Amino acid sequence: MTAARFDELIHPSTRLSVVALLAAADWVDFAFIRDELDLSDSALSKQLSTLEDAGYVNIERPVSDRRRRVRARLTKTGRAAFEGHVAALHQIVGEPARATMQGR
Amino acid sequence: MEQHVTPLEARAALDAIERRRMRVIDEIDLPRWYWWGLAIGWIALGFITDLGHPWVSAAATFAFGAIHSSVAPRVLSGRHRTGQLSVSARVAGRDTPRLVLAGLVGLAGVTIAGAIALQADGAGHPVTIASIFVALIIVLGGPRLLAEVRRRRGRAGS
Repeated sequence: MTAARFDELIHPSTRLSVVALLAAADWVDFAFIRDELDLSDSALSKQLSTLEDAGYVNIERPVSDRRRRVRARLTKTGRAAFEGHVAALHQIVGEPARATMQGR
Repeated sequence: MEQHVTPLEARAALDAIERRRMRVIDEIDLPRWYWWGLAIGWIALGFITDLGHPWVSAAATFAFGAIHSSVAPRVLSGRHRTGQLSVSARVAGRDTPRLVLAGLVGLAGVTIAGAIALQADGAGHPVTIASIFVALIIVLGGPRLLAEVRRRRGRAGS
């Protein structure tokens, strides 16, 4: 069971949405996140940089079909922080944490 | 900051997280080309079998199996419908390859049974006709099977 730990870096709504998407995936393309959250390139870059600086996200730049792509992936630290944050949110609403919310 | 987060706000945050998880679950699928390729291959195999050359049929079946085996490990997990994301194994679950492969074994049985029945009825090209019927099931039923997988995965988290 993950220890509840409210994470102020993750909690703002845009970053929470970014991390929640990443938590359910191995990696997500930059364009997918941008389109899902209806963000501009620069706004998403800024959020990802913040998460990367905290060690929560890895940014990868694989070359596929000669096109440069950008992928984001949650690190182990980021996943643990997200799971702790979800557990903290469950604690606040007064319900037991569910494995589901932890990127199952 | 935690002290300032009300239960209502926390509930809203949890709902937002669940919506994102469901959005990723929506991506669990097999590429459309897989179903079409399988259906076309199935008909081709049926047609070749109807030609009545056992060695050719055996070679075609082997080639079909080999091609499927080379493609299956990449696509059957349902985690890579597009190149835009890779659904995590925990979210995608382990059911999809088993369900698809069990379905294919079942459809092979349907093809054989259908071909035998058609042959008994005196139809020309019985295996081809049975394969076309099964190919339709693949193209129409395959995506429905994956929709069921997505429903299951969604329910598993709700």
